[in-house]
Formats: sequence, structure tokens, C-alpha cells
Amino acid sequence: MVCKRVRHIFGVAVVVLVLMMLGVDPVNTAVRPTKLDYRIVTLPNGLKVILSEDHSTPIVHLQLWYHVGSKNEPTGRTGFAHLFEHLMFKGSHNVRSDEHLTLISRVGGDGNAYTTEDATVFLETVPSQYLPLVLWLEADRMATLRINQTTLDSEREVVKEERRWRYENEPFGMLPEIIYDHAFTTHPYKHTAIGSMADLEAASINDVREFFDTYYVPENATLTVVGDFESENALQMIEHYFGRIPKATNPVPREIPREPPPTGERQVTVEADNWPLPAVVVIHPITYDGHPDAYPLHILSKILSDGESSRIHRELVYEQQVAVSAFGQQTIIEDPNLFYAVALVQPGRTPEEVTAALISELEKMKGEPPAEDEVQRAKNQFARDYVIGRMTNEQKAAHLAHAAVIHDDVTTADAEFDIFMDVTKDDVQRVAQAYFRDDNRLVLTILPRQSRGQFFGRALR
Amino acid sequence: MRQLACRFGFVGIGVISGVCFLLTTAPVFAQRSSASASDVEIEWPSEAPPPPLIEQSVVFPEYQIRTLDNGLQVVFVGHYEQPIVNARLLVRAGASSDSRDKPGVAALAARLLNQGTATRTAQEIAGIVDYVGGALDVGAGPDLSFVNTIMMSDSFSLALDMLSDVVRSPAFSPEEIERQRQQVLSGLQVSYDDPAYLASIVFNRLIYGFHPYGMPHNGTPDSVSRITRDDLVSFHRDHYMPNNAMLAIVGDVTVEEAFLGAERAFGSWLPGSLPDGVDDAVPLPTRRLVVIDKPGSVQTAVRVGHLALPRAHEDFLAFDLAVKILGGEGGNRLGSVLRTQRSLTYAASADMVGRQIAGDFMASTDTRSVATAEALRLTVDEISRLRRERPQDAELRGAQAYLAGNFPITLETPNAIASQVLEAIMFGLDLEELETYRERINAVTVDDIERVSRDYVQPESLSIVLVGDASTFVDDLGRVGFQNVEVLSRSELDLAEADLRRKSSSPVR
Repeated sequence: MVCKRVRHIFGVAVVVLVLMMLGVDPVNTAVRPTKLDYRIVTLPNGLKVILSEDHSTPIVHLQLWYHVGSKNEPTGRTGFAHLFEHLMFKGSHNVRSDEHLTLISRVGGDGNAYTTEDATVFLETVPSQYLPLVLWLEADRMATLRINQTTLDSEREVVKEERRWRYENEPFGMLPEIIYDHAFTTHPYKHTAIGSMADLEAASINDVREFFDTYYVPENATLTVVGDFESENALQMIEHYFGRIPKATNPVPREIPREPPPTGERQVTVEADNWPLPAVVVIHPITYDGHPDAYPLHILSKILSDGESSRIHRELVYEQQVAVSAFGQQTIIEDPNLFYAVALVQPGRTPEEVTAALISELEKMKGEPPAEDEVQRAKNQFARDYVIGRMTNEQKAAHLAHAAVIHDDVTTADAEFDIFMDVTKDDVQRVAQAYFRDDNRLVLTILPRQSRGQFFGRALR
Repeated sequence: MRQLACRFGFVGIGVISGVCFLLTTAPVFAQRSSASASDVEIEWPSEAPPPPLIEQSVVFPEYQIRTLDNGLQVVFVGHYEQPIVNARLLVRAGASSDSRDKPGVAALAARLLNQGTATRTAQEIAGIVDYVGGALDVGAGPDLSFVNTIMMSDSFSLALDMLSDVVRSPAFSPEEIERQRQQVLSGLQVSYDDPAYLASIVFNRLIYGFHPYGMPHNGTPDSVSRITRDDLVSFHRDHYMPNNAMLAIVGDVTVEEAFLGAERAFGSWLPGSLPDGVDDAVPLPTRRLVVIDKPGSVQTAVRVGHLALPRAHEDFLAFDLAVKILGGEGGNRLGSVLRTQRSLTYAASADMVGRQIAGDFMASTDTRSVATAEALRLTVDEISRLRRERPQDAELRGAQAYLAGNFPITLETPNAIASQVLEAIMFGLDLEELETYRERINAVTVDDIERVSRDYVQPESLSIVLVGDASTFVDDLGRVGFQNVEVLSRSELDLAEADLRRKSSSPVR
């Protein structure tokens, strides 16, 4: 596809509309976002360091990624990576239990952490003069985390409350768990990062030690700092605080069980608690982050599902009104994951109707390539996401770290933009044909659980 | 699914101070002896945290304000790192301008803005906005209605044209009204299964009574069903006028482009006579404990608080610090007790909301069902202690250090800067105060905290809402000192009734 760049002129709305109605190929393309400016260094102990200066506000953001997530959890220990993330706040040689966040908030900073399938991320934003403090804090716990049975037990209860709050007690909260449990047989993506109550209960101090010694080592970590600092000065401090952590004696294990290909189409109906309306989910396995097909799949998802003019919304919600809400999304992460389209069934309509409507939208993507203007729309939306996803130091750090950790190539933090812009309508059709097949389709129908009446009983007293 | 939930979670500008945070910050009360988590022994120095570097000066970034001849106030913040521009228009009328018997009009009117205008259909608007990779969001909060658009900066003219079109000339076509009404009703059906939503609507109803602040701003299934096209057209005619609105332009355009663009898109918008001010009668705090029974819940949503201060009140800042000591960053007694010491919850916090004519403070936590009474007792005890005991100097310093130190972080994005300016204009605050925020924070004394806690915290008049499986905890409430408990099932809940209980004779609605 040839992309010419023209500036929008006043009244472009009318022009675009006419073009769209006539099916004429439009010529405008996304504005090229500003590139990130950074340097990357690896310390002798294996710690990767990425530095990106931005002096526009006197603040600094630190993001420390450990390349370990829920997919590294052994059988019977689901949820452990996330539980461990919590334990990292329970004190180290120079920092008392729960003191980490107190030290940060007492200087006006914000600290947090999260765990995904692939990584565990610790982050702090502070006024820029406190960069030494957050470097010191992260180095202290990377080197000398301290945990005993009491702190493990108490934090386990907090994580169980988190599971209840975020998933079990939330309408539709169990959706991810239901999808992944049914879509995977072997790969640990079968379970979500929060894990099961039983496995959380089983976690022991020995597990903590083993996990810490295996994964919380410098060569498995990437430290990204973005904001108001001088790189030379920051690097000296980083070498001082992190350089004294010894290199691990054993390599970090990287073997993850592989998922075999599906053996045919499946249809499954389940009932769930806290499930207000019937839902239909159409699922296909797709590829991994960094695979050439990942880019057209992303564009395909946008054509199907970004904005009110996208195909799934327009057809199911606006025109046919068979769904209250509907969307499709690709999850492209380190190992091959899923595309899934979800629709909440409009009261009065049936799951069968909605399933047929969803599958029909996916089939259309295979039948003929999307119109040029749909592809261009998706690219423009991608460019918007790209730009608004790089506004803050935290966002920039996340993109740099993701590129370095998941792609093992920090340059992809910028280089992917051009790959996206080069995706063609034929690429989109090709990946639809490759991945939206009958023999790898899973259709889940999730119904409100019947055994408990929705409203039973009068007021107690 | 989150998309659906979010659609009903309209938030205007920074009217609500603070959002829930993932990990509560808590002071340390007990030091436990811990063992190394490693089998590997390493040499590591014992040392105190390093001192800070030299502090950089913090100034409130540059912004411009102009008022067009028709009264439209325009705020501009330039930002040139990325080729993107954001324009939002705020109308100073939201759910608090709804009539008492028909909440949801302001919100539904806002939802219809981008669903067709005099010259464009809903699908045309979506097509135009999506095509250039833009986004156009609409909604209403308690005190304002908004349209927010973001586009790449080469679409700046288009952004203003779309904004102007949807704000000034919405069609309110009957077909689109029905579509949106259906969406709202379906959304409410889902929301009525959401403990956090149920807790928030009942809490607001207890705090604000029959004042419009006391009703859900999206309306109730009953009121939304009764809204007519005339209601929407009238709301728009009476409130959407340039002398009742603010426009913020933020991003990669020059100041000249911004103000010329504003003039071109909105200069011909005719001013009108402003509607009467909103109802300012809010009830006095009275003690009430309502349980919404949701059988099968694994957790109970606990919400405790009462009426506090409107945003422009002179004690707002001091009371905000007091609430931070109770349950916010830099302090958070609730987090220490409920999470750190007792592992009863993932998060416990307290927050304040300052609105145009009133405000409230609310302590909030979610706990496993069997621990409900214990968590409630501890929460109420901490609220009482805030009034009873003079806080420690260190506690105030912690809260002050957080707010003052956090100030530059609140200025990181141009939108955040514009939000602070808009909030000041919206609530009639002195714009000079944006510059002096840190000085004003640091000027608050322990005496001030003691005074505002005494004046504004009334432990005997707390409104309490519990949403969860009543059978698992309702008998425990009396044992920890809570009497006069009202228990309702969700199907009985009717916010329009004084006792919140649907009249048995009235039809199910």
C-alpha cells in the first residue's frame, strides 16, 4: 500500500465522508509520533538498565521488571508470582515490613506493583531529587528480601481478599478465568495471574526462597528510569546500589510447557456466579508477541472492535441490537495466546443468535479483505493509542521495558510503529484465514447460575 | 465487560479527590523479625536511606484563559512533545440540575450528544471520528456535562467542528433516544449486581437525601423509563449555552491557533439567560445503617461517612488532610489497621468529595463476609478516634509531605494541568491558589486538624451501607454495638421512598 501524507484541511469531515461513501481509497495517514530518546547498559551482574531523560517536569519514574510471571508458576502454585509481588513489600535488610511505600509517600511519591502472565513489575514516581531513595529501596529488596511465616500468612489473606474483590464478587469478574481455563490444556496460560484459593493456601516459605533465588536476580531484571535526571549521574548511582548485588550462580530457567494445537471445534456451556446477563465468547488461538502476524492481527481487532463504527459494535449492538455490549480483542503476549470476541446477550434475544452474528463477523474478515478506508481508520486509531500511550514517564518506561524484556530488543519500542503502518488489507485477510478456522474455534456460552434465585427471600431480621 | 461497566462510570474533571489505589500506603506500627528470603548469603551494608539530591523548583505551568464575547471561557495549555490535541467542553450543569422525580435526564441528554446532530447521523459522527483515529466521549457528572475529544493535531479543526456540532445541535432523534435508553437500562441491570455500585447509590441517597446529589446520576430503571424527548430537549435548551460553559484546548497547537479555532467554532453560539441555581437544600447528617442483602456474596462492601464540605469551603484543604490521616496517602490509619495489622481487606481508605453546594467524606473497604462486623467496628472506631484524639505531628507531616511532594507529579500531563485550572474556575476558586498550593498545604497545623475534625466529624451521625450476604453477618452487628439495622433485598430497593423500600402495592419498576 502506498501511503501519502497530506494534512487534513478544514472541512475534511465532509471529504472523508464522501470518500467513505464512494469507497474511494483515502490518502491520509497517521502523523508520525515522536521517537523515544534513551540509552541502554548492562551491568556486569546482568542487570539491564534503560535511561531516558525528560526534563519537562521535575519528577522521575522508576520501573523494575522481573521476567517472571504467572506462566512460570509450577503446578499447584497458581497465583504464586503475584503473592510474591506482595511479599516484596514485607521488608529487607534495611527496610522494615511495609515501610517501602511509607518512605515513598512521605516524599510525595507514588509506588505500586503488578503481575502479569509474563512479568512482575515494581514502579515508583517521585519528585526528581528522590531518585537515590527509590534506587536504594529497589536494590535493597532485590538483594536481601526478608520473609517469615507470619508475614507470608498475613499477606496470603490480603491476596485472597484481592481475589474476592477483583474477581469473585465483581459482575462478570470470572470471565478471564473461564476463558483461559477452557481455551488452554497444557500451557500455564490456562490459569490467570490471581491463581486459585487452594494454591494460594499451599504456598510455603520454601517456595518463597526458591522463587526469590531463581527469578529475583539481576540478570532476570530490567531497570528503566524515565524523567528529570542526568544519565551519567543516574548510572553512577545505579552502579553503586545495584552493582553490589552478586551475579546469580545458576541461569534463569526459561522452559514453559507448550500448548498443543486444538483438535477440532468445541462448544461449551457453563454457568457462573455474579453473572447478570448471558454472554457468548468466540475464541481462537493466535500467535505470540513479535511474530509477524501479530501486527495484522492487531489491525484486524481494531477493524472489528475499536469505536462505534467498528464492525462488531455496528452490527451486533447498533444495527441488529442482539447484544447489549460486544467487542473483540487479541491478547498478544510472550507465548501464543488468544483472540476472543465477547457479546452480552440483549434480553429477549438468544445466545445462538448472538453466536451466529459474532462468527459471521469473523467469517466476513476471511471472505474478503477489508476496505482500504477501514484499514486506514484502524491505523489512525493505532497511531492515536500509540501517542496517548506515551504521554507520561510511566507509560514511556513501560514501552521501553516491554520491548527489552518481552522482545529482548529495546529498539522495538519505536520500530514497531512503521511495521504497523505497512500492514495491508491483504495481510489482514490472510491472518483472519490463518487463525479464524472452524477447527480451532471454541464457543463458550456463559449463563447466570440457575441454582440460586436472583432475588430470594424477604429481608432478614 | 469492563467496557460496559465503564460506560456508566462517567467522571467529569477532577471533582472527586483521589481514586482507589492498588496498594494502600500504611505507616509501620509493629516490626516483625523476619528471616532472609534467600538461601544465598551475601554481604550487604546496614545503612539509612540516602539523602535527596538538590530540589528543582516547581512552578505551576503556563496556561492562558480568555473569554469569548458570548461568555464562553476558554483555557489553553500548550504541549508539544507529541502531535496530539485534546479539546473538551464542559457545561456547568449535571445531575444536580435534574428534577427530583426524574434523575438521569442530564446523563441521558449527554449520551445523546454524539448520537446524531442536525446535519450528521450517529453513524456518520462515529465514522468521521474513528476514521481520523479520534475519540469523542460524552457524559455527565453531578455538577457538569462534558464532551471530550482527542485527535492528532493535524485534525484540530475537525476536532473543534465535531465538538461544536455535537454540543450545539444534537438531534435527540426518537430512534437514538430509544437505543441509548435501552443501553442505560441494560447497564443498570448489570450495575444492580455490582456491590460497589449498589453501595455507592445507597450511600449517596443516605447522605444527600432527596437532593439530586442523592440520586444516581444515570437515573434509576424507573426514572430512565419515564424520560421523554421533551425532557432532553429542554435540558439542553436551558443549560447548554456559552455563558454556562468552559472549553479547554490542550496539546500540540499554538495559542493563536487555539483561540482562533475556539472563536471560529463557538463564536456564533448565542448566549442565553442562565437557569436558576440548583437546589441547595441538603439534609443534616443522621445516623442510619442499611444492609443491602446480596445472597451468595463472598465479600461485603462497607461504606461509612457523612456530609462534609463543598469544594470551595475555606476548610476544605485542612479537612482533606484530616481525611488523608484517616485513610489516604501519607497517612491511612484505616489501611494500617484493616490491611496491615489484620489482613481483613485488600484496601481500606477514606476520601472526600467536594461538589458545588455540598460534599461528603467516605471510608471504604471490602472484606470477607464473616469479617463484616469486625471491619465495620474498626472503621467506625477510627473515624471516632479522628475526632477524639489530637493527631501526632508526624501523622500530619506525613500527609502534608505526600500532598506537597506529589504536586509536581500532578502536573505531568497537559490534561492534568488543564483539569486543575478548570476545577478552579468551575468551583469559583482563586486561580492564584494554583501557584500557592504547597505553601497552603504546609501552613496547616495540628491545631487546624483538631479543629476541623471536631467541627466536621460526627461519629454519632454516620451513614453506613453494607452490601453483602446479610445472613453471614447481620447477627454480629448488634454484638459489636450496631443497633437499628435496616435490611433490604435488592428487589425491594427503591431510592424514591423515604425508607428505601418499594411499596408493596406499587408495580415492579
